Amino acid sequence: MTAVLVDGVVLGLQFAILGVGLTLVYGLGGVVNLAHGQMAVLAAIFTARLMDNGLPTVVAAGVGVLGIGLLGIVLDRTLMQPVYRQRGEARILLGLLLMLGVGFVIDGVLEWRYPIEALNLRIAGEPFTVGGLKIRRGSIVASGAAITVGLMLVAFFRYTTFGRATRSVIQDEEGARLCGINPSVVRTVIFGLSGALAGVVAITQSMTSPVVSTAGVSLTIFALIVAVVGGLGSVSGAFLAGILLGVVNTLSAFYIGTFVSSIILVVAAAVTILFRPQGILGTG
Amino acid sequence: MGGNETVRAYLPIAAVVAVLALVPIPFVDSRSMMLVITTGLLFAAYTIAFNLIFGSTGQLFLCTGALAGIGGFGSAIVSDRYGIPFVITMVGAAVLSGVFGGLLSWVAVSRSLDTIFTGIVTLAFSLSYENFVLGSRDLTGGENGLPITAGGESIIGGQTAPYYVFLALVAVYLIVYRLIQRSHIGLAFKALRDDEVAAELAGVDVARYRIIAGIIGSIMLGLAGACFAHYRGFIGDTTYGFGSVDVRVLVMLAFGGIGSLIGPIVGAAVFTVLDELLVDYAQLREILYGTVTVILFLSFRQGVVGAITNRLRRRSAVDPIVGGSVDDGEVLETTHEPVS
Repeated sequence: MTAVLVDGVVLGLQFAILGVGLTLVYGLGGVVNLAHGQMAVLAAIFTARLMDNGLPTVVAAGVGVLGIGLLGIVLDRTLMQPVYRQRGEARILLGLLLMLGVGFVIDGVLEWRYPIEALNLRIAGEPFTVGGLKIRRGSIVASGAAITVGLMLVAFFRYTTFGRATRSVIQDEEGARLCGINPSVVRTVIFGLSGALAGVVAITQSMTSPVVSTAGVSLTIFALIVAVVGGLGSVSGAFLAGILLGVVNTLSAFYIGTFVSSIILVVAAAVTILFRPQGILGTG
Repeated sequence: MGGNETVRAYLPIAAVVAVLALVPIPFVDSRSMMLVITTGLLFAAYTIAFNLIFGSTGQLFLCTGALAGIGGFGSAIVSDRYGIPFVITMVGAAVLSGVFGGLLSWVAVSRSLDTIFTGIVTLAFSLSYENFVLGSRDLTGGENGLPITAGGESIIGGQTAPYYVFLALVAVYLIVYRLIQRSHIGLAFKALRDDEVAAELAGVDVARYRIIAGIIGSIMLGLAGACFAHYRGFIGDTTYGFGSVDVRVLVMLAFGGIGSLIGPIVGAAVFTVLDELLVDYAQLREILYGTVTVILFLSFRQGVVGAITNRLRRRSAVDPIVGGSVDDGEVLETTHEPVS
């Protein structure tokens, strides 16, 4: 039971980082990135290819994460510009459909070039024993990385000028503009950051189980559910929801079965929409 | 006047069905080509249903494959296991799809921001459908697939006849689409599309109409999926998967023109031909679909067909037949308002 719980928290931390990336982009520009999971997988396969070509793991992972961040920036500066010119429901729909198309393209490229490629960074060695509980090395490193990234995000949003500017744009774009903040620049940087976060998840995920080239759609869906349960646009909500759903998912997969756990996730999203559309931490 | 108008509204359907009825003539001897064009009609049926849900009421259902799969697997499992005639199980399974579609619609429309929530909930539903099909091996056969015997001896198991079964299905779907469009519900849908707030203020029950469209469209998807299961005699986890159904249906509708009557047929025809031409490059298909989706939504909001007819219309004055067959929003506006 406790071992499963630990696995759940480890998975939950990955979910959390994935959901935060998605919710940030939505909060800033109203774009629901339906290619979020595909971008994560792209980073994983890119990293795997670099390692095949002899690059050391750490360098390959770093290049993979930065590469996918760069792709985020490029997408924002090109494809997303017509989206930002729209308003309200039209903006949301166009952003959703365009990113869905991008997701198809990424999935198609992966299926075409690397159908059986996977990133596997399984860390060898004896499991650690913490308080009588055996924890795999990969889980420790993955959680450590996810927690570090999480703390860096908190520090970024609390203490840096750019982080505060980002929060102000999420709250009130027009007000932020009047204070001299350029929302367009903030959006671009955060889209890149979101991509990099997806890349980080791909790397940490592969430390406990291989990330295969077909995992994109399901990663996207996990990120969406986390973002909805946490309240779209809420970073702390997404973080909490990620950990919660990771635990629920792992427990139900272990005790009942994988397909039941995905049904539970859908029900969680539906219940949130019905009863707390503002998310678990939302008010009003 | 009234009769004339009814004729004009249904004429495009009759014309399209007549043309489609001639398509098999060169192919009757080829089992593989009959499969290709029959599958083309299946996708036309899916796309009409998706058009009813997304085109008319703006609900982005990203689970067309899953709803068709409920129909397909539901009918196949019940008819083969319990010996119930497949015609009955098909209807039952289609109703089950309708129940799921209605529930999804209800969850999504119970809040504002419905585009996002519909997209997210239905996409998540697709994931649980796929996990269910893979996970419950004793029911669905998991990744090995499920052979189906029910219906194999009837006309749906033949070589040429199933094409006409699907053509009848497409004809009925087009008529249903048109009927709904011309009814009170259709006028309400149009009011919703034009100005949701104003429609709501005028007493249109937005949520109710969305849910009705969700249910009817989902029943259509389930029935088409069930027909395909009994026709094909074998279904697997990818038969109704997100990658094999949803992606194509979205591209076909975007190409044909969202909210148009004949657009889904044009989209399905174009991509069926394209797939056949590119049969040696099957792995590139998804890249093509993704690229086309992005281009279509960026530049032709009414689909390629809509863009072409708009240009034609601007050149010559209003052509009622072209207008009636392609851009229905216009038809409702110009010919329906005086009718009580």
